[in-house]
Amino acid sequence: MSSAARESLDVRLTVNGNPVTLTVPARVTLADTLRDRLGLTGTHLGCEHGVCGMCTVLVDGDAARSCLLFAVQLDGAEIVTVEGLGRPDAQHPLQEAFSRHHALQCGFCTPGFLMSSYDLLADGTDIEPASLPAELSGVLCRCTGYRNIIAAVADVADAHPDGIPGPRNCGAHALADRGRAVSPGIGGVPPADGGDAAPAGDTGAHEDIRLPAGRPAATVDVASQVAAPLAEVWRVLDDVDLLARCLPGAELTERLPGDRYRGRARVAVGPIRLSFAGFAQVTERDPGAHRLHVLAHGTDAGGAQTHADIRLTAEAVGEGTTLRAQADVYLAGRIAQFGRALAGDVSRRLFEQFAEAVAAAAIAGPGSDTGASHASSRPAVAVRPMRLMGAVAAARLRALVRHVRSAVGR
Amino acid sequence: MKAAPFAYVRPTTVGDAVSELVDADGDAKVLAGGQSLVPVLAMRLARPAILVDIGAVDGLSSLRRIGDTVEIGAAVRQRRVERDDLTTSVPLLRMALPWVGHRELRSRGTVCGSLAHADPAAELPAVACCLRAELDVVGPDGARTVPALEFFIGAMTTVVGPAEVLVAARFPVADRGEGFGFAELARRHGDFALAGVATRVALDDAGAVREAVLCAFGVSDRPVRRDVTDLLTDDEAALREALEPVATALVDTAGDAHGSAGYRRRLLTVLAARELIAARRRAEEAR
Repeated sequence: MSSAARESLDVRLTVNGNPVTLTVPARVTLADTLRDRLGLTGTHLGCEHGVCGMCTVLVDGDAARSCLLFAVQLDGAEIVTVEGLGRPDAQHPLQEAFSRHHALQCGFCTPGFLMSSYDLLADGTDIEPASLPAELSGVLCRCTGYRNIIAAVADVADAHPDGIPGPRNCGAHALADRGRAVSPGIGGVPPADGGDAAPAGDTGAHEDIRLPAGRPAATVDVASQVAAPLAEVWRVLDDVDLLARCLPGAELTERLPGDRYRGRARVAVGPIRLSFAGFAQVTERDPGAHRLHVLAHGTDAGGAQTHADIRLTAEAVGEGTTLRAQADVYLAGRIAQFGRALAGDVSRRLFEQFAEAVAAAAIAGPGSDTGASHASSRPAVAVRPMRLMGAVAAARLRALVRHVRSAVGR
Repeated sequence: MKAAPFAYVRPTTVGDAVSELVDADGDAKVLAGGQSLVPVLAMRLARPAILVDIGAVDGLSSLRRIGDTVEIGAAVRQRRVERDDLTTSVPLLRMALPWVGHRELRSRGTVCGSLAHADPAAELPAVACCLRAELDVVGPDGARTVPALEFFIGAMTTVVGPAEVLVAARFPVADRGEGFGFAELARRHGDFALAGVATRVALDDAGAVREAVLCAFGVSDRPVRRDVTDLLTDDEAALREALEPVATALVDTAGDAHGSAGYRRRLLTVLAARELIAARRRAEEAR
């Protein structure tokens, strides 16, 4: 492996259990690679020259400062970041203890302390409480929270004398890559032939879509009453061209073998503008049960990445039809910083728009385009930006009111 | 805090590594653990045209016993040396390693890298000098072995030439009747020492002191070693007094905001007396 000064090199890493291949200039640190390329911004950067310990991660099982490692040095290495340690619904004992002991104020040093103390306790060697200040001296806290941090770590050391449990959130995840590298979410395989004009990040079109593990960022379950007979609604669902036109902001660009499709989708929410290059795969098409199961994956040039597991069912109710859309939506990259509530609101709104478009197409009947065409002509959600943002604002206001109430009520 | 662009090579043989260094004509740096080099690059105190990563060089990851020595290859990380049972035979190394930076740095930092970096306040150069380790250096003209006492020639300066690589260090294993001591004072654990000492006391079969040595670091531009066999006594206060002129001779620094030259002399006297007596006690136990 060698390079000229400004050339990039390939490096294969396993990050939180996910194999990923990246192409990076030699001078790019592991910390910058994790944050800027993979969207794993839980690893913080303080001093960037190996003093503060904010950027501590596990490299091949040992804690190391990711600002003092160039990614190209680490070909074949296994990295665990704070994101791999636990999930909100399955926290690592260390995270629980930090929470219990209030071992953080601003939280900036917390990822460093978690990874450093994980490394300290992983082997289950006897740790004298008196030695903890020295043992944890590789990470700085500027909120003067050391006492509580030490108490939290001592607590976990006590509870797990034979070594603490392993990381709880390593496995198949969506890792965003903001560069031209491989997305592990769709099999982690580079394009088979260089002539393939696949959009950035969408390199595994002939592979099966693999959904990330863990909980989706948003779960949608929308049922809509459509004033059209079941057969008409199913006709729309069963016709990929028609279906794509009903998807707000979506555009079908290429048909691939095996009920797979390539396309684009635009999403606009407030100041956010995302343009996804995507790939979809129909995994189940059941005309008898009027059920369609679709897996989709999209990557935005900015590094946002989404996976969706979509189940559409149509059921006759009287003269009309109930169209039910259930979806698990996974987000990675900066888009994940939307927060769960906003992502859920946006996703729900997308499916409501979709249902409206399907209804319009079904009512318009065969041979007519007019019903569905409006949906794809504009970006998703922006179709009625005021309404959506109004709904989101209202939800936030409600949350705020609840919050204020509970604070006042005490 | 981003390094300036550099070319990167990851050779797999010592010969290839040396060729890269020769081709770079002085504008290369050898990269092993990088825990001292990368901060220098990040602060752009150095802008080498090329980094020669020796992490994948065949044979440099070996940690083995050779005769009465433990040989540590240039790619062997400090934490591995700290954990491996093999190195219990070099107790001074095991005593000093926990003082080297932090765990997070020792995970990646190498023993030979610390020697080649030659920071005057670093622990491992003092250990190498105290134990008279032997260092193997390979360059375009072949291989040579350099005694630790001739290896360090100034602050961050060694005899390793621009096209040479330090490939291994051999530390003698402790003999029967040998004891060691190690201590340093830093403002915070993991910081570079204001002053520190490594000590070695060897007893003969009758239990008499055959040799007592102290090696000080952080007080000069390189580790400084003195034979203090004639000074050693069991009385710590008397030993401190006897060591005062030695400390005065060894401390060759103007001091800084963290400690004046006088403070460092005092510190060295106290640490040296304490650790010489501890080394003697351990030597008794090892008879």
